[in-house]
Amino acid sequence: MIRIATFDPYEEKQLKRLCEILYTAFAVGTEHSSNVRLPEGFAEPYEAARLLEEAPRVHAYADDKVLFLTSKKLKDRALPSGSAPTNGLSKYAGEKAIITTSVVKDLEQGMKTVARHALHQLGHTWELHHCLDPRCAMYPTWTPSFPQGEPIFCPFCRDRSDQKIRLAKS
Amino acid sequence: MSAPSPQIPFAVGDRVVYPNQGVCRVFGVEAKEVAGQKLTFLTMKREEDGAVVMVPQAKVQSVGLRKVASAQEVEKVYTFLRSDSDKADLDWKQRARTNAGRMAQGGILGLAEVVKGLQVLSELRPLPNKERELYDNARHLLVSEISVALGIPEHDAEDSVDVILFPVGRERPKRTAAEFKAPGGDEEMGIGEDMIDLESPEMEIPAEVPEAPEEETTEEALALPKVEGPPTKARLSDEEVTVTQTTGSGLVPQGKPPLKRKRGRPPKPKPAEKAHAAPKKRGRPPKAKPLVEVHVPKKRGRPPKAKAKKK
Repeated sequence: MIRIATFDPYEEKQLKRLCEILYTAFAVGTEHSSNVRLPEGFAEPYEAARLLEEAPRVHAYADDKVLFLTSKKLKDRALPSGSAPTNGLSKYAGEKAIITTSVVKDLEQGMKTVARHALHQLGHTWELHHCLDPRCAMYPTWTPSFPQGEPIFCPFCRDRSDQKIRLAKS
Repeated sequence: MSAPSPQIPFAVGDRVVYPNQGVCRVFGVEAKEVAGQKLTFLTMKREEDGAVVMVPQAKVQSVGLRKVASAQEVEKVYTFLRSDSDKADLDWKQRARTNAGRMAQGGILGLAEVVKGLQVLSELRPLPNKERELYDNARHLLVSEISVALGIPEHDAEDSVDVILFPVGRERPKRTAAEFKAPGGDEEMGIGEDMIDLESPEMEIPAEVPEAPEEETTEEALALPKVEGPPTKARLSDEEVTVTQTTGSGLVPQGKPPLKRKRGRPPKPKPAEKAHAAPKKRGRPPKAKPLVEVHVPKKRGRPPKAKAKKK
């Protein structure tokens, strides 16, 4: 089950649309779980890794994945080989992921882009690595073609995620 | 905690890399009796999923067990990924052999070579499923080792590799087969040899291959470096440099065209008679026509003299 928790208010219609897209991609039940409060001491742009650590607990079961949504920007991460633009973050094989909707001006218009980011981060939680196919949602998010793509996986990544989900269910 | 011995250069608690398996932690050296033989095993636990791996003491070296890479080695990996060594082997057999060797014995740099090689190849055409899996495995092992070596989370380790492989704000370039041709290479090692469906009729070599177009193709391929514009990496390869020297050097007279060696497999000898034979009709043969009396044309002129009877 994918549970969406929001740090900021969103229209119910938009969240429903996002749930539909995620359900189509993973074939896993998706719902808007709750609206959660931002922990103390965070200023825009948010530090994604720390926010994931300190995010309030959302009621979920063992195999559930929690996706946090925020409309505020996330801070770029400094890596050993350079700086990575950050529009979302998740721990590899973890339970929690976060994405920002600040990548689009109008959420209604840019729902596909937001959903693609959501797919990407949730894919990491199901142990998917970055993909070589520019059409796949697992393609690195900082590439220029990423926002234009559809919220779908390539056959290889879809098989992998299906396999992981099936293993988690059993 | 046991100290490393000459036979087993790892101590209990060490983090080691088992080729093709990933990062493991040594948790014991045990003596066991297997099939009547007393053997000493190095026992490890794979960090990813806790799977237990037991390696006999005699096999520790041969399986390629090694210590986790240091920060300096990771830095070398980043330098390699940044470098322009973007030549991919187009011969799939050779590539598979090399990649298997790199995965087993190549260390962390070998993993980086597999990832980069396959990524460069994917800029030419989509990878076949086997190689896509190999790419994913190599990437997974590389990322987990970098993560352990630098003590950073796996998602940061992966992004640190991909920030180099997929530069920010830039799309990956599209490549052509000409860019990958090895200097003095053979066209038999052509792109997509592994993808050719030998049974499909489109892939059949035509019976009559005209000579002229082949010449043109060779000429076109050789003429590639002459194209004006910004120089690409491919044009700077050894092959092109040799070609330019041959055509423009004093060894070849100006008036005469330079001798061109035909590349690739020589064409099959054509059967002389069959070449002009009418094409074989397909389908059921036509029904035999009913027998008709053969009309013998009447001979003109005087009828032949009757032969004299012998007495």
